Amino acid sequence: MNWNLLSEVLISAVRMATPLLFVALAELYSERAGLVNIGLDGIMAFGSLVGFLVCFWTGNPFLGVLCGALGGVLVNMVYAFCTVTLAGQQIVYGMALNIFAPALASFIYRVVFGVSSTLAQATLMKTVSIPVLKDVPFLGKLLFDQTPMVYGVYLLVIVTAIYFNRTKSGLNYKAVGEYPKAAETMGINVVLHKYIACILCGFLAGMGGAYLTTCYVNTYSDGIVAGRGFIALAAVIFGRWSASGVLLACLLFGFFDAMQLRLQVGTDLIPYQLFQMIPYVMTLIALTIFGSKIAGPKSKGKPYYREER
Amino acid sequence: MNEILRMEHISKQFGDFYANKDINFDVRKGEVHTLLGENGAGKSTLMNVLIGLYQPTEGSIYLHGEKVHIESPAQAVRLGIGMVHQHFMLVEAMTVMQNIILGDKRYKGLFINHDARRKEILELSWRYGLNVDLEAKITDISVGTQQRVEILKALYRGAELLILDEPTAVLTDIEVEGLYSVIEKLKSEGKSIIFISHKMREVLHVSDRVTILRAGKTIKTLEASETDGKELANLMIGRELVECEYRKAEATGEPVIELKHVSYNKASKHNGLNDVSLAVRCGEILGVAGVDGNGQSQLSQIVTGVTMAEAGEVVLKGCRVSHMTAADFIEKNVSHIPEDRNRMGLVGNMTVEENLLLKSTQNCAFCDANGWHLKKKAMRAYAETMRAKYDIRCQSMEQEIRSLSGGNQQKVILARELEASPDLLVAVHPTRGLDIGATRYVRDTMIEARDKGCAVLLISADFDEVLQMSDRIIVMFEGKVMGEYSGKNPPIQAISLAMAGK
Amino acid sequence: MQKTKLLNVLIPVLSILLAFVIGMLIILALGKNPAEAIGYLMKGAFGSKTNLANTVVRAMPLIFTGLSTCFAYRCGVFNLGGEGQFLAGSMAAITVTLLIGHEGWWVTIVAVLAGTLMGGIWGLLPGILKTWRGLNEMITTIMFNYVATLFMGYLYTTALREGSVPQTAPVPDTTKIGRIIPDLRITWGIVVAILLGVAIWYFLFYTSKGFQLRAVGFNPVASSYNGLSVKRYMLTAFIVSGAIAGLGGACDILGTQFRLISGYGGGYGFDGVALALIAQLHPLATMAVAYFFAVLRVGSTTMQVGTGVPTSVIDIIQALVIIFAVAGSSMMYLPKVRKFVMNLFEKKEAV
Repeated sequence: MNWNLLSEVLISAVRMATPLLFVALAELYSERAGLVNIGLDGIMAFGSLVGFLVCFWTGNPFLGVLCGALGGVLVNMVYAFCTVTLAGQQIVYGMALNIFAPALASFIYRVVFGVSSTLAQATLMKTVSIPVLKDVPFLGKLLFDQTPMVYGVYLLVIVTAIYFNRTKSGLNYKAVGEYPKAAETMGINVVLHKYIACILCGFLAGMGGAYLTTCYVNTYSDGIVAGRGFIALAAVIFGRWSASGVLLACLLFGFFDAMQLRLQVGTDLIPYQLFQMIPYVMTLIALTIFGSKIAGPKSKGKPYYREER
Repeated sequence: MNEILRMEHISKQFGDFYANKDINFDVRKGEVHTLLGENGAGKSTLMNVLIGLYQPTEGSIYLHGEKVHIESPAQAVRLGIGMVHQHFMLVEAMTVMQNIILGDKRYKGLFINHDARRKEILELSWRYGLNVDLEAKITDISVGTQQRVEILKALYRGAELLILDEPTAVLTDIEVEGLYSVIEKLKSEGKSIIFISHKMREVLHVSDRVTILRAGKTIKTLEASETDGKELANLMIGRELVECEYRKAEATGEPVIELKHVSYNKASKHNGLNDVSLAVRCGEILGVAGVDGNGQSQLSQIVTGVTMAEAGEVVLKGCRVSHMTAADFIEKNVSHIPEDRNRMGLVGNMTVEENLLLKSTQNCAFCDANGWHLKKKAMRAYAETMRAKYDIRCQSMEQEIRSLSGGNQQKVILARELEASPDLLVAVHPTRGLDIGATRYVRDTMIEARDKGCAVLLISADFDEVLQMSDRIIVMFEGKVMGEYSGKNPPIQAISLAMAGK
Repeated sequence: MQKTKLLNVLIPVLSILLAFVIGMLIILALGKNPAEAIGYLMKGAFGSKTNLANTVVRAMPLIFTGLSTCFAYRCGVFNLGGEGQFLAGSMAAITVTLLIGHEGWWVTIVAVLAGTLMGGIWGLLPGILKTWRGLNEMITTIMFNYVATLFMGYLYTTALREGSVPQTAPVPDTTKIGRIIPDLRITWGIVVAILLGVAIWYFLFYTSKGFQLRAVGFNPVASSYNGLSVKRYMLTAFIVSGAIAGLGGACDILGTQFRLISGYGGGYGFDGVALALIAQLHPLATMAVAYFFAVLRVGSTTMQVGTGVPTSVIDIIQALVIIFAVAGSSMMYLPKVRKFVMNLFEKKEAV
């Protein structure tokens, strides 16, 4: 593999990793509060549609991303109400979101553009290159010639890492996911934290979805999310519930994604699906090796009843 | 009057059940006031009401003479009430320091000021003699240290009133001495303490006043200096100790099960067995007395095959048991009334009928073709017979068992376990949480089984029950058998001492 | 108890009604006539012999994945891998068919067996991870779904690709599962599905092993105290539920689809979970709900053509049914709600 090809694959990897990172961070915030949300695919789908529509109507991709994120929050409130207030099964409602939200998105798209429409196209977000730094050979194009979304997500990784490791509020937040009853006795409002977690999760996952239709391709189609939500879920497990781990996992998975795209048009030697499988297989292997030791926040997946007997 | 806290006419209802009913309780500044009562007497519920985890159904709380509504634990903390729970409220994945400062709202600012907080905590730990390593993870420190962290946590939040919920239950003797000196320090600094316990000896040692709870009601409040262990015990249990109603067995037969130097999870004093030897014979009840959590659970699991002994020999009906499962023990006619009937004894979502037949659907009386066809009619008829025979009160056999009362649930277990006419019956806390009528019924049934020649191992934290029913008594303490006593005219003093490890 | 049983029926029925009302409101909001839409829906599903047959054909894979879920969940195994196990079955069936190179009824049988076996193996893998390493099956089965889907991609784009279009060769005519009536697309696969549903119902409620399996599902601790081997039952549930889905995949590929192409089998697994939950894990009810889902799916296409209401409104209704039905059941676990409903019943009884 020569230099040009490598840099091309790496640039593509960074681009692939961006939506994953948004969504994996979304899941990180959710699971850190004890809520396993497998409905990421659904939230992304809705976010991508709202993002696309707003961008299509206003021509402003930034507004699109913002509205996509808000759309994600809206959808995730269904999950929040059912799992936090009704203390329902998290996996079931995650699954319900995965059926509900894409259907809603597809429905709205067809209502707006008609049942048999021609492909609508919106504006893509432009890259903003950082002067001087972008001229650094190899690294310049890789790191400093991207859309603001890319810079934003890396900033978010840093903020998340600091939040969970250094701040008081982050400590309280983690306690909610580890041992809600203990958190409650320490005067931390568990239900409020869980709702905040759902808002953050919806916001970031919606943003990740909107990224797809405002920065990646300029159209919306059903199934555009293509299982990225589940890769993000895998990335959180593989990254062992830390911001830096999630970053590495997403970059790694992004790299494999870029590789398979490259292979799809390139050789027949290695089937590209093998590379697509890698995130899932690696997560399974990691889980098998570490077993329950990397179970993540202790109370995740369990409903929380305040008055229990 | 330097009264800090007064709770008046507190009631707390769960469904149809009153965990607390019309309780009155007060605490003065700088005193240790003990809440004494058996398991399920309502001590923990009352405290959960006080710290705002539960809302009382009725009644009011006064702090420093002012009426307060404590709606959340956060508010209780602000009002200066701190609780050390029996099951520690510590986040295992975090450090001691992180646990202490968790949820702290006194200081502004986004980030944790480690140095300042550390200094503050160290000062507190000096003042009260609570030494802990602030950077250690909770998983790496001993139970005694975890308790000190809990006390520090409460003090750090400025607690004036500390609730210690059965603080000695998990401690070794040396750690208990340490705790006593901490309590003395706290008292001398003017803090008030609510001490929850069911152990007479420590209550008399540590308290200024004692309030006795029984079945969710306050019985009496006494000055500790004006009472003794016997009076407290009588008040706690509710009648004069030991009024033997049951005839004790005279002659006993061959041993049905023998344990020889059995050990399991030896290092743990509360969840293990250490070199236990015992034998249960045909036609006798062997009672195991002891405070909860001294290895009784593990003993019951080993004699029913749920877990395997790690060392030593288990001999069942003359055969050495090596690799046998619960199914094999059932095959050998061992019945089990487990300690937690909802978790271990019954399938709550299944019907009364299904629970009665849980073990016997492979029996050819209830199925054809090797289990591939169930005889529903025979099952129903059998269940109806059991209902009549054991006086199970339910609306129909189709009713989910979780909707039955505790007493009727226990009768279903009894019917299932005793109809197999077992050679060995292992009964763990068989009357826990039952009313007097149901308790009486369960006991009579067990005596009847004994008279038919069944060997019974009765494990109970209810001392009275062990004394009344057993033909022989052994005492367990920290996983060991402390001694064996005759069931006829048992030496109560000696047994109580053995229960305390002396 | 009768009250609980009544609630078990009432909640799904109310959920379906409520979801439909919302669906109709959406259609109304689009300025379309809901009655007309329903009319087209019914016409699409029941209007002609062909349409009637199409709904049955559409229901078949859903019955299989629904039953697979039913069986697993009854044993406390939350298998979300119906999708992957279904695909494992189809892939094994078509691979065997194409590799044997011969045709005929015996190939069909071998292919069906291969599909069932492969589905069982695909269920066994997360089962081993659960019993051996204690891994949560809800996460691992999802991972296995994606591995299966991607492996299918490898099959139709590379290994078994035929011609320029990424798809496999079709199943030879004489190897296809036969039609019951030559004109209609209904195959004997539906008979297999229905018999299987009845068999599972009989097994769960009329045999000793089924009884014990349900006990393990409700309370594994009590079951082990009462001498049942919890791990063995769980592993069995993983294998059998995988095999059921695999059998479904084999019947689908050999009877309806005939070849692997992009997007094949998508959604069957999760639909199966959803409809089994709506059916409160009752095998016979599961089949009924599967048929109901199929009616909606087939009818919605006619509705879209006739009225211009997008088919996805039906997906929305379906998702709402799930949300309401499951929310309804979990609400019943909240003490306050339970008390309220029970009070309601008692008042009714008093009157």
